[in-house]
Amino acid sequence: MELLTGIAATGGALNSQRTRLDIIAQNIANARTTRGPDGGPYQRRIVSFESELLRSTDSANGAKSPGLATVRVSGVTTDPTPGQRVNDPGHPDADAQGMVTLPNVNLAFEMVDLITASRAYEANLNVAKNSRQMALKTLEIGK
Amino acid sequence: MAIIGSVLPVNVQSLRPPLDLAPSREMIAPKGPAIPAPSGGQFGEIFEKMVSGVEQSQARAGEVTRSVLLGDNPNLHQSVIAMQEASLSFSLMVEVRNKVVEGYQELMRMPV
Repeated sequence: MELLTGIAATGGALNSQRTRLDIIAQNIANARTTRGPDGGPYQRRIVSFESELLRSTDSANGAKSPGLATVRVSGVTTDPTPGQRVNDPGHPDADAQGMVTLPNVNLAFEMVDLITASRAYEANLNVAKNSRQMALKTLEIGK
Repeated sequence: MAIIGSVLPVNVQSLRPPLDLAPSREMIAPKGPAIPAPSGGQFGEIFEKMVSGVEQSQARAGEVTRSVLLGDNPNLHQSVIAMQEASLSFSLMVEVRNKVVEGYQELMRMPV
């Protein structure tokens, strides 16, 4: 019984946007991390999405539902741009010249990304809400 | 569910008066092509399938919600969507049941 059609596509989008929010949270949390597991400063991570075809559901009367495409995270890549270098000889991670390489995280960019991700999540939540309301309104035909 | 499916035809049969209604039935019968009998089996069977479908979706919703609450699944929306699906299929089932009971009561009120 498939009452909420299209909800699978929305679910995938919600998953992806939540992953994006997690990665943005990681970027913001590590905005001043000068030493990672590899010894270097933290490098900003970027989430990329790809569309994914849902399997088409064959209903009993032979009618094929359109193959909906949902979205999934295709990968988390590292932003290779070099970070800002500041002079701080007292820092434990300073090199021989007293320079410290900071992460390449720009808080302004991250905040903008945070807002877009949260708005995209909200938009998908509204799709889910709307499709539920449509189904409920349809049930009201019989009343 | 099987109660409604089995009781309904029996009572309709018992409501039929014993006299032969064949000529009058021919008169009121539509002239169009005969309506083929539904191939899905008895209504009781279909309704039973529907009830088990609703039960399955509720069990699935419970499972997803439990995994979210236990921390195995971080996707809160999956739990909410599963609960909504379960609630919708339950509403549809209640709606079908109401219609069946309404039709049955309408039949019982019919003066013969």
